[in-house]
Amino acid sequence: MESLTDVIVLGVSHRTAPVAVREKLTVAEEQVEAALRQVVALPGIREAALLCTCNRVEVYAVASDREAALRALGSDLAVRASVAAAELEPHLYVRSDSEAVHHLFRVASSLDSLVVGEPQILGQVKTTHDLALKSGTAGPILNLCFSRAFRVARRVRRETAIARNPVSVSSVAIDLARQVFGGFDGRRVLIVGAGKMSDLAARALQGQGATLTVTNRTPGRAQELAVRMGGDVHAWEDLVGALATADIVLASTGAREPVLTRALVARAQKLRRGRPLFLIDIAVPRDVEPSCAELPGIYLADIDDLQKVASSHRDGRRGEAEQAESIVEQELGRFIESFRGRQVGPTVVALRARVITLAKTEAEKLVNGMPHLAERDRRAILNFAESIANKLLHGPQMALKKDTSGDGVPLVTAVQRLFDLTVVEAVEDPAADAGNEGEPAAGQKKASG
Amino acid sequence: MATFTEIQIGVYAIASALYLGYLLGFRERSARLGRLVLALGVLLHFADIGARCIHRQNPVSSTPEAMGFVAFLIAAGFLAASFRYRLAAAGAFAAPAVLALLVLARVVPAEPGTPAMGTLGRTHIFLATVGVAVFTLAAVLAVLYLIEDRQLKRKRFGLLIDRGAASLETLDRLAARCVSFGFPIFTVALVTGALWIARLGLLWGSVAMRPEYLLAVATWIAFGVLLVARVGAGWQGRRAAWLTLGGFGGAMLVLVVYFLRHAA
Repeated sequence: MESLTDVIVLGVSHRTAPVAVREKLTVAEEQVEAALRQVVALPGIREAALLCTCNRVEVYAVASDREAALRALGSDLAVRASVAAAELEPHLYVRSDSEAVHHLFRVASSLDSLVVGEPQILGQVKTTHDLALKSGTAGPILNLCFSRAFRVARRVRRETAIARNPVSVSSVAIDLARQVFGGFDGRRVLIVGAGKMSDLAARALQGQGATLTVTNRTPGRAQELAVRMGGDVHAWEDLVGALATADIVLASTGAREPVLTRALVARAQKLRRGRPLFLIDIAVPRDVEPSCAELPGIYLADIDDLQKVASSHRDGRRGEAEQAESIVEQELGRFIESFRGRQVGPTVVALRARVITLAKTEAEKLVNGMPHLAERDRRAILNFAESIANKLLHGPQMALKKDTSGDGVPLVTAVQRLFDLTVVEAVEDPAADAGNEGEPAAGQKKASG
Repeated sequence: MATFTEIQIGVYAIASALYLGYLLGFRERSARLGRLVLALGVLLHFADIGARCIHRQNPVSSTPEAMGFVAFLIAAGFLAASFRYRLAAAGAFAAPAVLALLVLARVVPAEPGTPAMGTLGRTHIFLATVGVAVFTLAAVLAVLYLIEDRQLKRKRFGLLIDRGAASLETLDRLAARCVSFGFPIFTVALVTGALWIARLGLLWGSVAMRPEYLLAVATWIAFGVLLVARVGAGWQGRRAAWLTLGGFGGAMLVLVVYFLRHAA
């Protein structure tokens, strides 16, 4: 029998396990295929997929024998991570049946992520499915679940604002700069100070297409950062000159007094002829004198401003997450419904075949033992047996087709179990859509991994 | 029964309301719907103008018609730009401007057939109409620039990001493009206008009587200065936006004086 009751997921995530445990379980992408083949070789497992990000490691599987499969999977994970099964146990979570599918939908929709709404996860789930397809361990049921998960995730992203607004300080800063300049192509970013924060911020800016210039009180450190980021160095003594050619300034020195004073910025702005200049001050104590913001064409954001925006976006996301959860619930309901519907036809066929064959063989046995019967009588008996079978089947058949019971074991599953039916027809999702997932919107790339 | 123009006015009114609603804090859907309705308005408007052209009627032969044509150009121009840039907020200015023009056009009486219109007159009115429409778009963008600049200055960052407005630079660049596109048109309009008036024998000795001539020249100078300053001195941003608004104000004054005279 094939049904959603066979879907299981077992894994660890940032909610249940510290990174020390997660990192042990991590499987490198090039080893996933081999690992999957091992998993499907385990007893009771027919299909498998492995989702591996830095926040979670999860095995999705279709199991004919749930208990055996879970036991085998658990010890397999423990062996792979070379830890004792008992040690791993408290971090593991297990979901099965529609709950497993629900979990997959939530994960793909980024509702289970550390940063709710982060855009990478959908691509990672997509890779998970692709790898499972490539290694031949994804079968009809997982295909169905995954392709529906992609649809749900896309719908969540389309209908809610869950992934729209940035929630980290650096991405807020990048978005703000984009609000002034439209884009980073050909923009000059000046990094004032070469400390740890500069390093982090520069890395966030690196992929955006801007040219980086570093200036620092100690030229050696500036040089170091510039080399690492592929930028160049400007003399600290000529801050005005550096400001005059920059579009975006990122300040994070350890200085006690503002480095960019109003007078200095005003002088630079004169050289710039009023071209807009965006100052991002992430230093504490601040590097940019606040009154700089009063100068024409100067836009200033300090760490508090950025954090305020980021936290308001986080609140916003929480609100959107509720709406997203209800979309996921609704889609799950529809999915189960359609899955069941798709099962009815093949189950009816299998049930009929089982019962009618049985009636026929028994009747044949009977008439074969009675050679004295006339041909007409023999046929009458055979017909009689078949018609009883048909009459008996009529009720259950109609009930199966009409079954819309929301809760409990669906009739389809019950019948499959009662008669020990194997429904061989492939369960294909006609609505399954191929094609690539939409890439995360530029500027929303957050480290999540 | 509502006339075709009244239907257009109604449609533009709905579009304006939707865009304004978006600006005042409704969801993005409001702006998207607004654009859809605006597109409908432009379509109707186009059909209207097209029908008149088929009947061999110059779409700018009378003042109200010229105003309607300006409105159409503004609406169509904004609509086209809004597909490429995130200009939803600008809709809250462009759509009402279109609406106001159409309503005004209904109120302004058609002048009883200016006798000596001629090719020159028609060319003048047509070009002036197009020029004013393009300048209006530039002014809308300038207003938006000034608003956004203010919000950035006041650190209303969250609002800007949430709304996904066009960037300052985009607004500035688009406005500049509008001005450099509209300026030559306006220049030719000015010259043909002067020639036309001269031919009618109304130019000399009547300048004092007709301040709109001077205003028109002042407007032309304002936009000229803006262009030169942008290209030559690298002017941009707030100053450019204010100058654009100044020029636009001049152009509007010309129209107002013109209409007052004709209404009188």
